[in-house]
Amino acid sequence: MRNITDTFESLKIALQAIKANKARGLLTTLGIIIGIVAVVTTMTAANGLENSFKESISVLGSDVLYVSRTPWVHSGRWFEFRNRQNLTLKEADKLKTQLKRAVAVNPVTDTRRSIKYRSRVIDDVSIVGTTDKHIVVSSGVPDYGRFLNHYDVEYKHFVCVIGSEVKKRLFDTVDPINKKMKIGRYDFRVVGVMEQQGGAGMFGGPNFDMQIYIPITSFMKAFGGRDRDFDFVVKAPSTEVLPDFEYELVGEMRKIRKLKPTDKDDFSINQMSTLVAAYNNVMGVVVMIGLLITGVSLFVGGIGVMNIMFVSVTERTREIGIRKAIGAKRRTILTQFLFESSVICLLGGLVGVIFSFGVTALINSTVMPASISIPIVIIALAISVLVGVFSGIIPAYRASRLNPIEALRYE
Amino acid sequence: MAFEIDNIFKIYQMGGVEVPALRGVSLRVKKNEYIAIMGPSGSGKSTLMNIIGCLDTPTSGHYFLEGEDVSTLKDDQLAVIRNKRIGFVFQTFNLIPRSNIFHNVELPLIYSGLPASRRRKLAEEAIEKVGLSDRIKHKPNELSGGQRQRVAIARALVNNPSIILADEPTGNLDSATGAEIMTIFDQLHMSGNTIILVTHEQDIAEHAHRVVKLKDGQVESDEIVRNGRYAAQEQSA
Repeated sequence: MRNITDTFESLKIALQAIKANKARGLLTTLGIIIGIVAVVTTMTAANGLENSFKESISVLGSDVLYVSRTPWVHSGRWFEFRNRQNLTLKEADKLKTQLKRAVAVNPVTDTRRSIKYRSRVIDDVSIVGTTDKHIVVSSGVPDYGRFLNHYDVEYKHFVCVIGSEVKKRLFDTVDPINKKMKIGRYDFRVVGVMEQQGGAGMFGGPNFDMQIYIPITSFMKAFGGRDRDFDFVVKAPSTEVLPDFEYELVGEMRKIRKLKPTDKDDFSINQMSTLVAAYNNVMGVVVMIGLLITGVSLFVGGIGVMNIMFVSVTERTREIGIRKAIGAKRRTILTQFLFESSVICLLGGLVGVIFSFGVTALINSTVMPASISIPIVIIALAISVLVGVFSGIIPAYRASRLNPIEALRYE
Repeated sequence: MAFEIDNIFKIYQMGGVEVPALRGVSLRVKKNEYIAIMGPSGSGKSTLMNIIGCLDTPTSGHYFLEGEDVSTLKDDQLAVIRNKRIGFVFQTFNLIPRSNIFHNVELPLIYSGLPASRRRKLAEEAIEKVGLSDRIKHKPNELSGGQRQRVAIARALVNNPSIILADEPTGNLDSATGAEIMTIFDQLHMSGNTIILVTHEQDIAEHAHRVVKLKDGQVESDEIVRNGRYAAQEQSA
């Protein structure tokens, strides 16, 4: 009961003191405001990046394994992979028959070509050779028209399904279905348009909306297939059995490759979680650095508050003497000044959070999708109170130790 | 017995030199005594007041406040004693400038941890005793010197202390206002309070029933004032 009264009174006294020095309080909190805006924006940006990354790689599917010649993520062991054999279509067929548990095995390969419709040309577009199984292993579906079917692959039809952005840039308002367009030197007939998937383009990854899918057989006919390297996209029965399934897949691939038990794998199994892990590694460092820098600005803000608290204690030496003379204990004085610095910083934090909503809205409308979450707000406010306690503790301690006689004599 | 001081020494260290401020002071004060402590500056009366007010502790000797030895207590324990048993009235009033009259008077009660409703009642009573009920929401700088000193007296009274300790309470007031303030002290004494006046003015000291004079850190004289202004009243009472 007594502590509650104490706390409440300390809070009241602190608010009174701040109210008495509005301009000074405002200037002091400026550092905290800027610091909190920086912290909130950093965290929000990191969140936004993570969300759009996860969204963009979710296209890959969490129950899907990619057999490739090299791993997606590695640290410069190029020579280890250099002599590996390309993955071939024949091996894909073998895998399809041997790995019975696989829901689908889809070989894919890609190249980059210019595309053209009437007078419009787009250079350097990603052309993906794939099969009708593509929509089984990936989450993308056609927005309208249809995807490639079994006959397209079987009979090497020169048909294509285009990404939503390709449609927008090449055809604009024209309905592309059954229109002929050029991929490299060859005419392809558009049979479908994929729905928008959001790009991992920001991360240097593929922008799925700028891809064009054609039958893998037509791909080889048009762009050559002899020395081509394929990726096998293999869908597991479920996410739960993925580790188990991966083990099985490695076994079958080793059989196909006729590896001796002592040989190392001469292929790599990739999956979404590898990318997520790699992303988390990189972003972890980036966010750490970001928070470190913003931490410095908060620290500087905190020093400003500490400075003003020293001034406040000195100015009110006599008041402290009076309070002590009529019975304030050390702890009472300590809490009074701690509350004052914490409230200053908390107010700064609140203003900072409000500003951050503005900054976030700006980011959201220009750079990337971003929104402030409740946990971030809570963390930001907690941090500002912490800064307040940190910057108030030394001045408050000094105030609490003042000798009442000397304090009363202070002019 | 309100308090008893037994052979107190206070020695300050100033740049390695020992400066004695009190050299063996003894004093016994009964409840409801009205005492004036007098002496020229440097006589040790401020030091003695600080010790009686539990703002300071003696270098040696004992101080019993209502039978309890408080000469060896720590800072926070002294704070509790000051809060509950001592009421200070200073020459410069020493009110908290940003707080209104009510809050100034209420403050000792906050430090005693009383609930708000009880605080309100006690503070309002104390303010009424000094006749400032109509100024309860005013800030100290909106009051005259005499009114400020009355607020300080109300603050000193509010916790019903064992001793009211007044350090030159009229020093910053003109003589008419000073007389008003002294009237309040006289009334407080008559209603049973123990009052210690620290002063160097003879006519202020004359309000007291007993005058202790200090010189060079020792008691020079300690006498009941027969000719005191109120002595006649007391003798007849």
